[in-house]
Amino acid sequence: MSKKPKQKKEFKSNDFLIALSAVVLGLIAGAVLMAAIGSNPFEGFLYLFRGGLMNIERIGNTLATATTLMLVGLSVAFAFKTGLFNIGASGQMLVGGLCATLVAHHVFLPRPLYLVVLILSALLGGALWGVIPGFLKAKFNVHEVVATIMMNWIAYWSVYYFVPAYLKGPSLETESASIAVTQSLRTEWLTKMFHGSYVNLGIFVAIVAVIIVKFILDKTTLGFELKAVGSNRFCAEYAGIKVNRNVVVSMMIAGGLAGLAGLTFYTGYARNMQIGVMPSQGFDGIAVALLGASNPVGVLFSSLFFGMLQSGKGFMNAMTSVPPEIADTIIATIIYFTATSVLFKKFWDGVARKMTIRREKEVAAQEAQDAKDAQTVAGRLAEPSSGPDVSLHPSRESIGPVSGGTDGKEVK
Amino acid sequence: MKKLIVALCVLLLIGSFAFAQGAGETTKAKALRVGMVTDAGTIDDKSFNQGTWEGIKRAGAEFGLDVKYLKPAGTTEADYLKEMGNLYDAGYKFIVCPGYKFETAVYEAQDKWPDAKFVILDGEPHTADYATYRIEKNVVALYWAEQESGFLAGVAASLQMKEAEFGFVGGMEIPAVQKFNWGWQQGIKYANENYGTKIVLKQENDLYQGSFDNVAAGQQLAASMYDKGVKVIFAAAGGVGVGVINEAKSRASAGQDVWVVGVDVDQYAEGLLPSGKSIILTSAMKYLDRASYDMIIDEMNGTFPGGQILRLNATNNGIGIPVDNPNLSADVQAEVAKIYEKIKSGEIKVADTQIAGLYK
Repeated sequence: MSKKPKQKKEFKSNDFLIALSAVVLGLIAGAVLMAAIGSNPFEGFLYLFRGGLMNIERIGNTLATATTLMLVGLSVAFAFKTGLFNIGASGQMLVGGLCATLVAHHVFLPRPLYLVVLILSALLGGALWGVIPGFLKAKFNVHEVVATIMMNWIAYWSVYYFVPAYLKGPSLETESASIAVTQSLRTEWLTKMFHGSYVNLGIFVAIVAVIIVKFILDKTTLGFELKAVGSNRFCAEYAGIKVNRNVVVSMMIAGGLAGLAGLTFYTGYARNMQIGVMPSQGFDGIAVALLGASNPVGVLFSSLFFGMLQSGKGFMNAMTSVPPEIADTIIATIIYFTATSVLFKKFWDGVARKMTIRREKEVAAQEAQDAKDAQTVAGRLAEPSSGPDVSLHPSRESIGPVSGGTDGKEVK
Repeated sequence: MKKLIVALCVLLLIGSFAFAQGAGETTKAKALRVGMVTDAGTIDDKSFNQGTWEGIKRAGAEFGLDVKYLKPAGTTEADYLKEMGNLYDAGYKFIVCPGYKFETAVYEAQDKWPDAKFVILDGEPHTADYATYRIEKNVVALYWAEQESGFLAGVAASLQMKEAEFGFVGGMEIPAVQKFNWGWQQGIKYANENYGTKIVLKQENDLYQGSFDNVAAGQQLAASMYDKGVKVIFAAAGGVGVGVINEAKSRASAGQDVWVVGVDVDQYAEGLLPSGKSIILTSAMKYLDRASYDMIIDEMNGTFPGGQILRLNATNNGIGIPVDNPNLSADVQAEVAKIYEKIKSGEIKVADTQIAGLYK
């Protein structure tokens, strides 16, 4: 009996299982889609995975793609934890990237110091862009979805003005001058190690960010407060937590993380900023956070998965007759299944309940049997005391069905 | 349950690695395989991507070639190189790259894949900092004289309308679009001076929207221009131009006399109304399909002009207005044909820079 609570906990559907079901079902749906347009799904997935992992360079590219997604995913996940929907990661990326690009063009310091300045600039830029909607939410109850979307466009058009005005390249009006490789996040040894891939120091920034966010959420008072606000802001308020302050802080940190994503994208993956482009990673990050169940470690893995899909997609298109648009549809299907994770939760909880019930029944049956055994044993023990005039047969019969018919057969 | 999770997870991992390690490349094609990486926008953008792709498709159909296009996730050098690598690994070693945004990617690619051939449209390979321009033997760069095309369209529209207000909607302020604009303005001016037409193009009606994909913004710009009395808008703006066409179509359906001049390809069919008429007066064309088609033919004949920068203009029939212009009168078409010859012979010179008197 003492084991029971532990078993129950083990049986409960966990986020990992839900994410896995979403991915598997998404892939199955993708396979159906591929079959429907007359391609071989097995071949399609073969090339999809090979495209992402076939050789060292491609693994590096997968990592490079995942880096930005990881940070955006973290940003969205962090805001989710406080009950906020940060849909403005694109704008925060742009501003973070813009600050980093400015630093890359104008600050010349020894490499380690330079990197610190670079990272801080992007962090602050993104944080600034996140804190404004946070403030509006806290002070005037402006819904953060609306505010962050508007901030996206403000960032978009600010970059549109700023880049040609202050960071213009030698000939094109539509993108900033490229930053030197030595001023970017790319490093010689990493590029060489991955055979000329785009993987860059950003991956370390992202992993450190995952650890720090996990630490903040799980081990600090701030994290506890943020989660409390996310679970039930009225309850948190009643408990004496400053809800508004936490909303602002949460959006600030989320913005900072997205700003870092901008850093890895604009000074690592790319080496210049193009105007008129809203980075799609800002929205893909929402899917990453959903699939990762807003858990930093979950985000780490889901971003790697999405990175692989996005990086392998092109190879699949090149090798099969699956058009690029279908590949995007497959990715979208997986996202769709993640978004409906509630269904999987119900499903797995249902399975878990059935199994628990079955086991409980087994346990109950076992107990009943034990009880019966005990009874008969007790009966046997009681036999001598029941007196010499009682024949052995009745007691034998009572044992019969429990201990098997051997005795009975012998009797016959 | 825990075991199940672990088992599933391991299965997924093994699966992906098994996929990843699968058999070696089986596709060692002998025939030429032609790939294309799309620029910003979709393959059916009714303009740049589509024009290039149609030429490739035509060559593919005629000679039974494998053709394939890939759509990059973004428009950075890394995205482009990734897709080029995908095409290359899949055996597509003749890669067409439409757009100036490919310049740095092609610069890297020409050394990375020396046995592949590249065609870049509207640009030439150079380093990211513009310090070094270098074109290897496996690359051909193509430029068009957009100004001549815009000039012809300007003259044609002016002669047809005789007295009206014109406008211009550009995508981004990039050289190719600017040259269309400058040519358009010079064409109007030429018609006014030499044919006595009274066409006005106000500076306020000469705009760049700032993107190539914002259809709604194109529609808005067109609406405000038509409201101000503009009759003909030259839309050199990709998807933004689609918005302009949509606005003109809805107004024309309501009986208003408005027109659009198309760009890059013959957009006549895009402007068709239910009545069977089109609001596309004419189109300032760059024969993109012809260029990509010709390059493929050259490659198959072994005369790929590697290492060269080709400039396509009136003298080599690289630009022009469509052969069929149902909305232009026969007289106008005859006049425009004469002017085309004059440009060819060098009698008319169309400036490809912002000379005095032109808007930006």
